[in-house]
Amino acid sequence: MSELDEISKILEGIPHEVKKARERRIFVQVPSDKLWEAVRRLRDNVEAQHVVTITGIDTGENIELLYHLWSPKVKSLITVRTTVPRDSPSIRSIVDLIPGATLYEREVHDMLGVNFINHPNLARLLLPEDWPENLHPLRKDVKLEELRKLIFGR
Amino acid sequence: MKLSLFEIPLGPQHPALKEPIRFIFKLDGEIVVGAEPRLGYVHRGVEKLAETRTFIQDVYLAERICGICSAAHTTCFVQAVEELLGIEPPPRAKYIRLIVFELNRIQSHLLWLGILAYEMGFDTLFMYIWRDRERVLDVLEMITGNRVLYAINQIGGVRHDIDDKIAAYMRKALSYLRERTKYYKGIVERDPTINARAVEVGILKKRDAIALCAVGPTTRGSGVKFDIRADDPYAALDEVPFNVVVYDTEDVMARTLVRIDEILESISMIEYALDHMPSGDIRVRVPRVVPAGEAVSRVEAPRGELVYYVRSAGGEKPERVKVRTPTLANIPALCKMLEGAYVADIPVIVASIDPCLACMDRAIFVDVSKEKVWVWSERELRRYSLRWYRSREGVRRR
Repeated sequence: MSELDEISKILEGIPHEVKKARERRIFVQVPSDKLWEAVRRLRDNVEAQHVVTITGIDTGENIELLYHLWSPKVKSLITVRTTVPRDSPSIRSIVDLIPGATLYEREVHDMLGVNFINHPNLARLLLPEDWPENLHPLRKDVKLEELRKLIFGR
Repeated sequence: MKLSLFEIPLGPQHPALKEPIRFIFKLDGEIVVGAEPRLGYVHRGVEKLAETRTFIQDVYLAERICGICSAAHTTCFVQAVEELLGIEPPPRAKYIRLIVFELNRIQSHLLWLGILAYEMGFDTLFMYIWRDRERVLDVLEMITGNRVLYAINQIGGVRHDIDDKIAAYMRKALSYLRERTKYYKGIVERDPTINARAVEVGILKKRDAIALCAVGPTTRGSGVKFDIRADDPYAALDEVPFNVVVYDTEDVMARTLVRIDEILESISMIEYALDHMPSGDIRVRVPRVVPAGEAVSRVEAPRGELVYYVRSAGGEKPERVKVRTPTLANIPALCKMLEGAYVADIPVIVASIDPCLACMDRAIFVDVSKEKVWVWSERELRRYSLRWYRSREGVRRR
């Protein structure tokens, strides 16, 4: 059984797409309400318990979240991809599954404004305390000039 | 009734630090019961900035993320872009990348070992090690022309070749370093001061290291065999044999010995690479426009797993560049290590994850019960730490 079939079997019942980008790189797409379940199954079945990081990307309409998980069992970096709507981005936290994800979720919360439900402490991690509430620097509509003006006043 | 409850904010400024950090420690007497990190004091917005620069400019930007592991950052970024372009650098370029990368690891580990000695109050060892580290920098300067930011990698290969003259010089320097490193290993294993400060200090259990996704020597000191060079080989690593160094005593001593043994491994790897280097070109020409796509690149930087995610929309500039440095991955593990530790052990434990955060610039101490606030500089905290140990000489702790 190839690793793609194995992952498909693990994710049975969750609508998903799985593809192999190259040797040791697998991409999986799941709906955002099933992400927690997908991560749980991958953790339990292919030892994907090392969260490498969580990447957030503003695609215009949505915010794309990529959970990079290393699985020693299938010897691959499994990237679980999901999208959340840009105007009300929220998703269930995976910290209860993998405690190592805590800082990565806080980083994405700071930079892109994604709300991680059930996160034990979603306080600011990187941005200063007096940073404007709804300004998330990695969103594409935030321009470099705007940030410069805010930080340096010119 | 709780006796005196302390809360200690620690940091954030530090001149020598890649990521200045502030901790708020909750103390029960002398013992840390909780540590909460706060980051971002030098968040430079590199990820945002990278989106406004071309791929070629971003190589230079990536190099400047960290001065100590600059070779790791460029290698990782360049590999991601090469994957998007669908090109392979020539075999000789891969070997040169590996050599510079491992030299980079040797100088980083030696630098760290010196700082650890300094934190323990062993200044003689610190100075000897840093003297020897200069030899590695000399070799790097000979190859690349630079001592810190090597600028060796470019998309499609490397910029400088290694000729026979440099190789001969390098071999001499490496055999000297091997002797010195073995000598330092003997000191670390036998010296009573180092043993008192490192054995059974800063415990990170294996299951915690896995659950908290620790990386690099930090996790390998807890018995986890996790090394990107073995799991996800890059450059010429699939052709160069090496051992993954693992120690399982889970303390500062284990993390120290992992790094020392890695220096010896790296020396052997470089010697093997010099013996087996293929001839040929060192770079290929690449187009400026990168086709649409995405790539995740990982390398084993001196401090652990370094990851770049690069996405291109099909242009000269990337759509998104995501960087995850190993220090960030080790912060949750560090907080775990500090739980149950003595205040006097904070500098050594913090140093043990090699965070470019070897000592704290300034510490504000708040005595809640007496409503007293006082400020300690890093030097004072270190002095306190050394005095604390001197006054307890011979006392078996815990």
